[in-house]
Amino acid sequence: MLRRLVILAALLGSLSLLVSAQVAEVAVFGASDLALAFKEIVPKFERALGVKVTLVLGSTGTLAKQIEHGAPADVFFAADRTFIEELAVKGVVIPETRALYAQGRLVLATARSAGAKLTELRQLTDARIRHIAIANPAHAPYGRAAEQALRAVGVWDPVRAKLVYGENIRQALQFVESGAAEAGLIALSLANVPAIDYVVIDRTLHAPLNQSVAVVRRSRRPELGLAFIQFVNGAEGRPIMKRFGFLLPGEF
Amino acid sequence: MDLFPIALSARVSITATALTLLTGIPLAWALARRDFPGRRLLDALVVSPLVLPPTVLGYYLLVLIGTRGPIGRVFEALSVSLAFTWRAAVIAAWLGSIPLLIKAAQAGFDGVDVRLEQAARTLGRSEWSIFWSVTLPLAWRSITAGVVLAFCRAFGDFGITLMVAGSIPGKTQTLPLAIYDHVQANEMPQANLLSLVAVIAVVVLLLGVSRLARLRY
Repeated sequence: MLRRLVILAALLGSLSLLVSAQVAEVAVFGASDLALAFKEIVPKFERALGVKVTLVLGSTGTLAKQIEHGAPADVFFAADRTFIEELAVKGVVIPETRALYAQGRLVLATARSAGAKLTELRQLTDARIRHIAIANPAHAPYGRAAEQALRAVGVWDPVRAKLVYGENIRQALQFVESGAAEAGLIALSLANVPAIDYVVIDRTLHAPLNQSVAVVRRSRRPELGLAFIQFVNGAEGRPIMKRFGFLLPGEF
Repeated sequence: MDLFPIALSARVSITATALTLLTGIPLAWALARRDFPGRRLLDALVVSPLVLPPTVLGYYLLVLIGTRGPIGRVFEALSVSLAFTWRAAVIAAWLGSIPLLIKAAQAGFDGVDVRLEQAARTLGRSEWSIFWSVTLPLAWRSITAGVVLAFCRAFGDFGITLMVAGSIPGKTQTLPLAIYDHVQANEMPQANLLSLVAVIAVVVLLLGVSRLARLRY
């Protein structure tokens, strides 16, 4: 019995030693609304500078906590500038490197399977719309903007019982994409998918979704992080960000 | 297809299961066979990782093993990083899976007739020898069930790993995290393929293990 276990343990041990090569590279942490745009920008940056980018996408709140506790990020693209401000106060990011890189836009999305294509927020009171997906207003920037917009047109109370909250904006999109929710308020940067129709919501209806970035203080390659920020905000990055529906610094 | 997440998940879940066995069996045995102050409390506490939301559990773990945390700082002093390395993924998988092993093994030990152990004792066997030659073989079925559950839980862990190991491609991105990442990026074919790989890999492994386990007992 003991011998059998020892052999088993040795076997497990040797299997776990299957090591992987680890290369030094620049780690970019970014909010999930950047998923599609950064998928195009990152390879361009890698080719231009001959470096390897590790892209880590997630909810801004989670990433901020992880960076605070030592996650190996070189640069952090938040979906909301308040997170960068907080990290700057805590000394986690380098204040001088802070930069605005985009303003997010909110869209009213309708699932194609729902039949009715909505063109304005007031139509959400329609009885055919039974579920409306938004990101959680308590902590997700796009959720907060969605609540503000619904309040601004005076339908927050009538539609409140229909709201379903996604953990983040990407999940809210999935609710609509799958048809589980007939409509939703989601990010323009992610809205270009086959299963949904959308119209852009007037941005004066909510506080601006200003997204900012900064280099992380613990970074061993701050110059590369800075270079990536400049790339996103430069001639190569801007047209891509624009195509995915972001408003750019200097244009809003 | 990037094979890294598959290799990493294999490595992490196997290491975590080994760790779970090493720490869980003595704990389960103590809970089943020994009376000590706080036993009932500990008995209830060991299941708490199943009760808390995984990301919350992950956050607490991060506070402990992060670079600023009490455990993390000790390891940093020994120049070993825990958080955001594959080691964090192992700790996450271990924490998530250990309640399943403990509960199964504890039930197994409880089911072993104490008189058989006493008989061995009258024959002059040491406690250590009784454990290995009487108690463990008789509890073996429950323990293998616990190991299978623990392994699957370790392999599939998402929330705790996401928080303490991050989802760093090529470094800490395990199979479940990679699948989720593909879903996030709207890359459903890749996500479907990796999901299929995950299920097939675990099924094949478990078929192999069940054969191995049946050989002896």
